[in-house]
Amino acid sequence: MKAEIRKIALTVNGQQMSIDVEVRALLSDVLRHDLGLTGTHVGCEHGVCGACTILIDGESTRSCLTLAVQADGCAIETVESLGSVSSLSALQEAFRDNHGLQCGFCTPGILMSLCAAERHGEDLEETLTEVLGGHICRCTGYQNIRAAIEAHWAKSVTR
Amino acid sequence: MTAETGIRRPYVGQSVLRSNDPKLLTGGGRFTDDLHFPGMLHATIVRSTLAHGTIDQFDAVEARAESDVALVLGPDEIASATGMLPCVWLAPDQRMTHIPIVSRKVTYVGQPIGIVVADSRAAAEDAVEILDITFAELPCVVDSEAAIAPGAPLLVPEWGNNICAQVDAGDPRDEIEEVIARAAHVVERRLRIQRVAPNPMETRAVVARWDAADESLTVWMSTQTPHHCRDHLATALGLRADQVRVIVGELGGGFGAKEHLYPDEVMVCLAAMRLDRPVKWVEDRVESLTATLHGRDAIHRARLALDANGKFLAIHSDILGNLGAHPSNVGLGPFRVSMGMLPGPYHFERAGGSLTAVLSNTTPTGAYRGFGMQEATWVRERLVDEAARELGLDVVELRVQNMIQPHELPFTTRTFQPYDSGDYPEGMRRTAVAARAEANVTSEGRIRRGLGFATHVEFTGLGDSRSQQIVGFSLGGYETAKVRVDPDGSVSVTSGVTNMGQGIDTGFAQLTADHLGIGIERVSVRLGDTASAPYSATGSIASRSMTVGGGAVVTAAGKVRNRMMAIAAHQLEISPDDLELVRDASGRDVFQPKGSPDIALTWEKVAESAWLNWNVPDEFNTIGLEETFVYNPVSVSYAYATHAVSVAVDLDTGLVKLEGYWVTHDVGVMVNPMICDGQVHGGIAQGVGIALYEGMRWGDTGQPTTTTYLDYVLPLSVDIPDVKIEHMVTPSPFIPGGMKGLGEGGTIGSPAAVGNAIAAAIPEIAGSLLETPFSPSKLWTMIDEAGLHV
Ligand code: FES
Ligand code: FES
Repeated sequence: MKAEIRKIALTVNGQQMSIDVEVRALLSDVLRHDLGLTGTHVGCEHGVCGACTILIDGESTRSCLTLAVQADGCAIETVESLGSVSSLSALQEAFRDNHGLQCGFCTPGILMSLCAAERHGEDLEETLTEVLGGHICRCTGYQNIRAAIEAHWAKSVTR
Repeated sequence: MTAETGIRRPYVGQSVLRSNDPKLLTGGGRFTDDLHFPGMLHATIVRSTLAHGTIDQFDAVEARAESDVALVLGPDEIASATGMLPCVWLAPDQRMTHIPIVSRKVTYVGQPIGIVVADSRAAAEDAVEILDITFAELPCVVDSEAAIAPGAPLLVPEWGNNICAQVDAGDPRDEIEEVIARAAHVVERRLRIQRVAPNPMETRAVVARWDAADESLTVWMSTQTPHHCRDHLATALGLRADQVRVIVGELGGGFGAKEHLYPDEVMVCLAAMRLDRPVKWVEDRVESLTATLHGRDAIHRARLALDANGKFLAIHSDILGNLGAHPSNVGLGPFRVSMGMLPGPYHFERAGGSLTAVLSNTTPTGAYRGFGMQEATWVRERLVDEAARELGLDVVELRVQNMIQPHELPFTTRTFQPYDSGDYPEGMRRTAVAARAEANVTSEGRIRRGLGFATHVEFTGLGDSRSQQIVGFSLGGYETAKVRVDPDGSVSVTSGVTNMGQGIDTGFAQLTADHLGIGIERVSVRLGDTASAPYSATGSIASRSMTVGGGAVVTAAGKVRNRMMAIAAHQLEISPDDLELVRDASGRDVFQPKGSPDIALTWEKVAESAWLNWNVPDEFNTIGLEETFVYNPVSVSYAYATHAVSVAVDLDTGLVKLEGYWVTHDVGVMVNPMICDGQVHGGIAQGVGIALYEGMRWGDTGQPTTTTYLDYVLPLSVDIPDVKIEHMVTPSPFIPGGMKGLGEGGTIGSPAAVGNAIAAAIPEIAGSLLETPFSPSKLWTMIDEAGLHV
């Protein structure tokens, strides 16, 4: 049962590439398993939990609901494009300082949604309700995620 | 991983930031599905699509002919290559004690019946589609009351009924009945706790690699109990335990669901052995909802007896527990714990329960956060509220007046729970004061408001081994820690418990640094690899990692410190009593005679000489700086909490909104308050899910109807208010370090508090608030039947 293969061009975290993918392959699987970017997680594969959220051309998108071929020609950003272990981004710092993660499985998706919200200038209220509302976290009870968002938004507004 | 620098000892009691957060925040966590090995193949499990029947045919000819399919194993091939998995917690006379990995008899939808391995997961899933499987269907039964009704379909026809075991707990039934008979007031209700799915965000996952030359199996898996899985893998696959190594990377939550070995996980390992290639299997969410153990599913016919003054006399529950298709590894355990913990923090003259546990054509039920205690709290605290309502008493006063007083502790309950320490009435009072001062309880128009309370005592830190033997639980209740100072002065800690997302590694680093007396940046904690971690029969379950594991770490670290002190004292030619270990002005950890900072030996220097075995005390009969300590607690430790929640209920929609939440809890010494609070927050959210949203459902033919997150509803941020937590600290009287467990308390108290708050908001329906979840449609119907819709 050989699936059809197609070549697509992607810019992933700033790096241009051209790769062969099965036309039926999910973008989440291509990122994780073909490109080794395992920071993007898969929690439900039916578009509800938000763990797989990445940015496609700057818009937060469920990578489990996106075929890789649909992203042909697009710029993709994943959690790996944010800070590094030795130099966390301000948002990542806020999550760490406020204990906004426990198992960390949902976290990369939430961070990517928040990145898009921050760039789009979403206000705190909208971010806490609409943006965070697109994510399931089973560990934190959300309180400390909200605290991290509040702390980060408070800082970015005064920046 | 080392923690951040900059904070000073003592670390215990400080919110030290978690050591592995940077990794998790940058996508660098190594979850099982993140692993990749050359030549790795991908598995899909073949599952029963029928609730009850037999497999007439499993024909894989066409699938095996596919070029990208490497292996198909059906029920007969798997059965002939595997042994049974033993149930770990057995009830007396339990009629089923071992579970086959696979069988031609299917008893629930989702039951694993075979495995397909292919070049990719998609190819494996395609191949499942072309398997030719035919079943002979049998009538099925899903509901526990239907399962004991005359004429019910039988899962094991030889038994003559579906009852797997019956157990009583507490006082003799006739004594309880005698007390109830003479009581001035008896509240009797049928209460139900629905079936829920644990739903860790990371589903189960396994990567298995067989080394044929070495005849060894390495298994990376998402589990809370690596040694336990190793032992059971060896049993099921006919290997010696030393041939199997289980490694746990990052765990994306467990909540009890990952505390034992599942048959499908054995199949993945068998396939890797057959193929001599690495095989990966990752459960999808539909499988997680149907093939990973569920929790709860109990019906209680419970009674609370009071005298004319509101003094509690007796509590009893007849429990009907739904085991699902077979007893899980813990079998009747959760239902038995419900009986044991039914009395909660109150005095009773007599207390107990009677349990009947039945099989049904549903996913087996097992451990889930709150393990029987959430159910007990739901039953008891709703009965107490009903009693207060019927007698016109204050819900807080009635509780306080019946509580075990602090001076009475230690206190053994009528159900043989040896409560250790604490002040239950004070916790209740503090919560009540805070909540009553702040909660908005003013109803407006069609919005009704109410404040509800629930209080509980929590069994934490499973051990000791002797008690486990008494209750038939084949898991040693001890925990071991190994602490080593290496020649360069760095410190490694390992233990048999696992980091399941709670951050236990950071807590252990805090304990180790304090008990060694050095900076935390020196300490690294490594958990989860059976090749290097000390043996742990029990692993990270039952809120025990910090209590039992932490007790072991504290003691082992203290022993290493004593060795370091003895060496330094020997080299400085003074008594250890005259020596101190301090951090000097330039940030070095140094040993120095008390009051003489000019004569100092660095931590590194002492470590180096210890491993050279130079200049060490003559009386030393071992070399080096490694100590292993096996800690077997003398008893269980008991945490406690009181929850209060304020709700607003819309009479026209039945929608419940939580507006405020207050908790007072006592978990003994808090090693890391930030992590403690996080555990409480997360536990409460799961409890709110039980109270309002979650629930597995089946259709008449035994087909599960809640198999995606569109149907199985989990709480979102908007559903969970900020929780105000007040801490009381009564150190455990016997755990070294004074800790008690806290992983489950949030989940235990919250459903009852929410239920009682709805009852306070709408007293007209209080008497029928007996079955969670209170979805809008269910509440709307109750409100309607109460005539509150005009
Ligand atoms: S994995 Fe994509 S939304 Fe859940
Ligand atoms: S931190 Fe575990 S699911 Fe969010």
